[in-house]
Amino acid sequence: MHQASMSIPEYTAPATLDDALGIKKERGAEARVIAGGTDLILRMRDKVFSPSVLIDLRRLSLDGIALSDNELRLGAFVSLSQVLESADIERLFPALPAGCREFAGPPIRNRGTLGGNIVNASPAADLVPPLIAYDASIVLSSSDGERVLQLMAFFVGPGQSVMEPDEILTEIRLPLMPASSAATFIKLGQRRSMAISQVNLTTRLSVDESSMVSEARIVLGSVAPVPMRAVAAEEFLLGKELSEKLLNRAAKKARDEVTPISDVRASLSYRLEMVEVLVRRALLATWDELRGSAPDG
Amino acid sequence: MGEMNIEFNVNGKQVRVSAEPNKTLLYVLRGNLGLTGTKDGCSSGDCGACVVMLDGRPVNSCMVLGPQVEGSSVVTIEGLASNGELHPLQRTFGETWAFQCGFCTPGMLVSCYALLELNDHPSREEILTAIAGNFCRCTGYQAVIKAVEQAAAELRAAKGGAGND
Ligand SMILES: Cc1cc2nc3c(=O)[nH]c(=O)nc-3n(C[C@H](O)[C@H](O)[C@H](O)COP(=O)(O)OP(=O)(O)OC[C@H]3O[C@@H](n4cnc5c(N)ncnc54)[C@H](O)[C@@H]3O)c2cc1C
Ligand code: FES
Ligand code: FES
Repeated sequence: MHQASMSIPEYTAPATLDDALGIKKERGAEARVIAGGTDLILRMRDKVFSPSVLIDLRRLSLDGIALSDNELRLGAFVSLSQVLESADIERLFPALPAGCREFAGPPIRNRGTLGGNIVNASPAADLVPPLIAYDASIVLSSSDGERVLQLMAFFVGPGQSVMEPDEILTEIRLPLMPASSAATFIKLGQRRSMAISQVNLTTRLSVDESSMVSEARIVLGSVAPVPMRAVAAEEFLLGKELSEKLLNRAAKKARDEVTPISDVRASLSYRLEMVEVLVRRALLATWDELRGSAPDG
Repeated sequence: MGEMNIEFNVNGKQVRVSAEPNKTLLYVLRGNLGLTGTKDGCSSGDCGACVVMLDGRPVNSCMVLGPQVEGSSVVTIEGLASNGELHPLQRTFGETWAFQCGFCTPGMLVSCYALLELNDHPSREEILTAIAGNFCRCTGYQAVIKAVEQAAAELRAAKGGAGND
């Protein structure tokens, strides 16, 4: 067992968010939040992180799921299993549970949280592409107040984000989608379960009354240091009528936009090829979904 | 930091242990409480040999710190039998040869137990999903699926439920 190799000088489970933020204010980056711990524990063992104090937020009830007229609010501590069990999420944001289903196995999904998946800032994080495709924003709290920012603007590099040392991620907000909107999540790994993504992506399309594309999101993970949107391909789709040819061309454009990394999980050329194939596959599936849900079939 | 007191419930009994906060639940169970049925295969969340129930859900005990379970309820492989009787799963695992070396078995059984607690008529697909985090190097999983199906049928029959399909 390699249990002894991690050092945790101090451990605290504050009773209020104010207490937790107070510790963050005082100790900054020395103090680290532990959510599910499914990533943090490994990193502490590897000495990537050696926090002087761990702040366990389990007493703060940050695991609520609340639907209002215009948005869905998810506490940062909502677990992947909770996402899978929510009928509201399945109905309104199905690409998010789709990402959870291909994520490790039930024991990790019971512990791992949405907030942990975001704050990790791993380029391969599976829930980040669907959240970005749904235009998620996040709430960062500190003892000076809170700020809300687009999730897309959170990431700076692998493991790096704009979160300040005194901040805690408290909430994720998803605006409700227009009526004619559909999204698709696809993950490519070396096997079906328990694999880290080689490429993961989410596409989302909305159409207006005259069936023209009014919104397009093509969000790719694992192909760059941060999650990316294939912006040129998205713009190319806007205002056009969906067809197989159009979506093929969009997928080619997405391929031209990425300069993937080469690593142990996949080579650069393989990833490039896969980006085009998977974006095409995801866009076609999204279009299918849109037609399936349209009143006139 | 020195040791912390952690109070929680294990297999129906309230316990109190003293452990440093860097000790995992797996370590606390095996080291402090002598419950060595739960195994350490990888210490990294990958293999599932350490799976236990935490507040009604299966988790990897190697990926939980001791202090995180303060006030919680844990069920380990030692807690599946009741009144000296094996849980049906424990019996059907034997009957169908769902293990050879047995190292994955405690975690595998707990994952299957968690499934049957929620669903006593799981499909093949649901069984595979439930054990997606449990690696077995010996059996090829087919016998495990059979054992779960058989135990599920027994549980349904015991409840006087319909059918023995
Ligand atoms: C076997 C295994 C398989 C995995 N498979 C996948 C997979 O398929 N896809 C995938 O994307 N990931 C995977 N992961 C990685 C990990 O499980 C996920 O990223 C998970 O969502 C992390 O959540 P957590 O609650 O466990 O985070 P933790 O480990 O508790 O925290 C992660 C980081 O975020 C910080 N943090 C957490 N919450 C907050 C907050 N609210 N405010 C501020 N900081 C915070 C912590 O300080 C830490 O640095 C896997 C991990 C394991 C061990
Ligand atoms: S020992 Fe915990 S998953 Fe392998
Ligand atoms: S019985 Fe040997 S690993 Fe499963």
